Amino acid sequence: MTQQNIKQFTKAVGNATEINELLRRYGVKFGIYKNGVFNEQFFPFDPIPRVIASEDFKSIEKGLVQRVNALNEFLFDIYHDKKIVKEGIIPENFIYISKGYLAQCEEITPKNRIYSHISGIDLVQAKDGEWYILEDNLRIPSGASYPLIARELTRIAAPDAFSENEIVDNRNYAKLLKETMEYANCGGIRAILTPGRYNAAYFEHSYLAEHTGSVLVQNDELFVEDNILYHRTYSGGKTRIGVLYRRIADEYLDPLNFLPESLIGIPNLMEVYRSGNVGIINAPGNGVADDKGIYYFVPKMIKYYLGEEPILKNAPTYLPFYEEDMKYVMDNLEKLVIKDVAEAGGYGVVFGRDLTKEKLEEFRRTIIGEPRRFIAQEVIDFLDLPILDNGETVMRKADLRAFVLSGETTKVWASGLTRFSRNPDSFVVNSSQGGGFKDTWILK
Amino acid sequence: MTTISKEHSDRLYWLGRYTERAFTSLRTIQKLYDKMIDDRRGYTNYLKCFGLNDTYGSNDTFMRSFLYDDCNVNSVAYSLERAYDNGIVLREEISTEALSFLQLAKDSLGKSGMSANTRLSLMPLEDLLFGFWGCINEHIYDDEIRNIIYIGKTVERLDLYIRMKYPYDIAEKEYIRLLKNLNRVPKGTPYRYNTKYLSELVIIMGTEEDYGQSSEKALGSLEHLFEPTGVTV
Amino acid sequence: MKTLSFSFSTKLTFDDYVHDHSFALRIIPPNTEAQKIISCGLDISPAVATKQTVDAFGNNVTAGYIQGDHRFLDFEIKGTAEVDSSKHCTFLMPCYLYQSEYTVPDEELRAFYTELKDKNISDVSDRAAFFSDILSDIIEYKKGVTTTATTAAEAFAMKTGVCQDFSHILISLLRMDSIPARYVAGLAFCDGETHSWVEYWTGSHWEGIDPANNCPVNDDYLVISTGRDFRDCAIDRGVMFGRYTQQLQLVRSVLA
Repeated sequence: MTQQNIKQFTKAVGNATEINELLRRYGVKFGIYKNGVFNEQFFPFDPIPRVIASEDFKSIEKGLVQRVNALNEFLFDIYHDKKIVKEGIIPENFIYISKGYLAQCEEITPKNRIYSHISGIDLVQAKDGEWYILEDNLRIPSGASYPLIARELTRIAAPDAFSENEIVDNRNYAKLLKETMEYANCGGIRAILTPGRYNAAYFEHSYLAEHTGSVLVQNDELFVEDNILYHRTYSGGKTRIGVLYRRIADEYLDPLNFLPESLIGIPNLMEVYRSGNVGIINAPGNGVADDKGIYYFVPKMIKYYLGEEPILKNAPTYLPFYEEDMKYVMDNLEKLVIKDVAEAGGYGVVFGRDLTKEKLEEFRRTIIGEPRRFIAQEVIDFLDLPILDNGETVMRKADLRAFVLSGETTKVWASGLTRFSRNPDSFVVNSSQGGGFKDTWILK
Repeated sequence: MTTISKEHSDRLYWLGRYTERAFTSLRTIQKLYDKMIDDRRGYTNYLKCFGLNDTYGSNDTFMRSFLYDDCNVNSVAYSLERAYDNGIVLREEISTEALSFLQLAKDSLGKSGMSANTRLSLMPLEDLLFGFWGCINEHIYDDEIRNIIYIGKTVERLDLYIRMKYPYDIAEKEYIRLLKNLNRVPKGTPYRYNTKYLSELVIIMGTEEDYGQSSEKALGSLEHLFEPTGVTV
Repeated sequence: MKTLSFSFSTKLTFDDYVHDHSFALRIIPPNTEAQKIISCGLDISPAVATKQTVDAFGNNVTAGYIQGDHRFLDFEIKGTAEVDSSKHCTFLMPCYLYQSEYTVPDEELRAFYTELKDKNISDVSDRAAFFSDILSDIIEYKKGVTTTATTAAEAFAMKTGVCQDFSHILISLLRMDSIPARYVAGLAFCDGETHSWVEYWTGSHWEGIDPANNCPVNDDYLVISTGRDFRDCAIDRGVMFGRYTQQLQLVRSVLA
């Protein structure tokens, strides 16, 4: 960290209270369910920015573009020829046992062959400066709106920090998103589909709708007629929707094709989509590519589809599914982190070192019983970041969610969501687990 | 292009109504506050206007309930919460900035509840609500959308003025405002007036005498003003 | 080869008006290597514009939307087809090897399979016939006990069911046996409703077997749809709004 940066941190820190006041004013909230009761919490913001040097970001950027391009190729392949399986690079059952694989999407080719339009790739930086990919989020990655509005507000509260440092302006996210939506548009207006205001990320849905000039809709405002998706207008008319940025999960998307009990879906949407009459962002069925088990194979995908060496590393990962890996996992369980492939949002993550002897044994048996359900990773010694805690600077674990947008070209948003854990002992930084966020400065 | 759903048009209408209800209640209660300096039960007449019983017993209990108690459906706090509830799902129509004034108003009312000087602490709240309406004028480009909010606002104000038995010349002004807004509503949309009920209202509001005698009926006409008829004019 | 004339009708009646009714019918039989549709007409009442698409499993989907109030939805197909059960479909979707929602076995069904699996039969068709034989011995064909929501494991536990349940259990066994299997909904000579049976992958093509009647499939079976299980093959699915509390469905089919 350079001396200059430290000076600027201090300036930004001086305005912590003002920034949080502003975030409050603009309703930067995060919904959370506790004991079945819905509460809206203000998403805690830490004013000390994470700073990423220009050179560092350039290599991250290259690595992310490469990774997302390979993942998009993979999705196309899986829903068409399945070459990567036929050639034995990924075992077949990893695809078909995955909950994210949707047979209903076979042979569907979305416009311009893009499946993951908005990819949220989670990275961590180790103490030696090396970046590692923690996981890919290719379904409905959330969080871009928070750094977006935070930057708007920190520029008000700490203008000097921005005039004295060469920081890349990140306020183009809405423009990038709008371009991405337009590239997937099959003819009609842009709409963002939300499950409603009691969704955890409702702030984000409405903020992105406002800033991309899209209509924010719920399912009861939409209907399918003549294989076209329409918005029902208040005068009894209808407006065609050309691209739908949906913020609801695949299984709820269309009650006539997926879960029949879904009350938030749009009947027959899949028929419209299959016929190429509406773009869906991100494509249904992407879950097969961001499955924690498939994660292990992403470096192989990069070599297979692009013929390139992966630029960014995966965290060292073991699949108990493979005999050799199972042996390693059994021998080293107490120093590994185990993840349930079906869970997300920081749930289903267990650190071997936190388990008692009995629990460890019990867990061993669970893994042996269902080897495909888990992956094991080495615990990466994260670089801690400074956090302001009651006026004192303390060090906490943090990760970075980078947003990669795939339209005419694949672009990495020069920012990202840096989340940190409030608890000094915790490695889990997900916002649903009560963490906070900070601004991410990419230096010019 | 603009496309508004029925759900959103209703939200816009109720956003107008609740924001106005909060504002007019706030102003009225401030006037009452002044009155209560000289009258130990200066609020009873206000309760009567809304058909409520006096379960409050003192000026102070009344004030606290009607300003800050969000469980009291007649309080400023309750109206602001409902205005916010409607506003929060309209961010892309009314703008983040307009919504922020409702958040600020809620916060300001909350702070006022903890302040030693009620009236002084309420002053910024009124400014914030004016700020909200400034944003509505500034940020909403689509006249159709803005007009629905204004219809809610003027319906609510006229309703409250009639209930509080405001003098004819003051109520008449609000009635004229309402008519102007109603005339801007396109045919075949949900906030197009119902001719039958509008005619009733026009007759009652036509003369001071009718206004004095038929206020109950006027309230009924207002309530049914947007009832679908099947035949729109 | 045999020429079949077929008809199938469904009357859906609600006890109160419904509106904003979206539906998807999988009712028009597909052209495949083993059957050729010579003619097929679809009538829907109330009159409504519909669109045809083909889903991932190769089924014809008829999608429609009725906005206004109505109290019924009737649809009927009539047509003729040439069926040749000596010919076979040859496209395999890999997902048919894996258990699906209705076919996931529980402990009991898995244990049942474990007992059977070492039986010294190597030919795939013989194994399928063997499983079907055993099922016809231990499962009683009985209407009204299971529903369309009953899974293979649930029906197996009750040892009763209808054609749908026989199909699910057999599919579950075949998949445990590493034989890809799929669910078929269609019309057959035997009953006045829709029928269901199973197809298994021989290694080169699909072969039909009717576990409810414990017999191979012949030219008297007309395929309407195929899929992983019942879920992919529901004749009609719909979402509607209204204050109705009941819907009544009458189904009639004729195959000659």
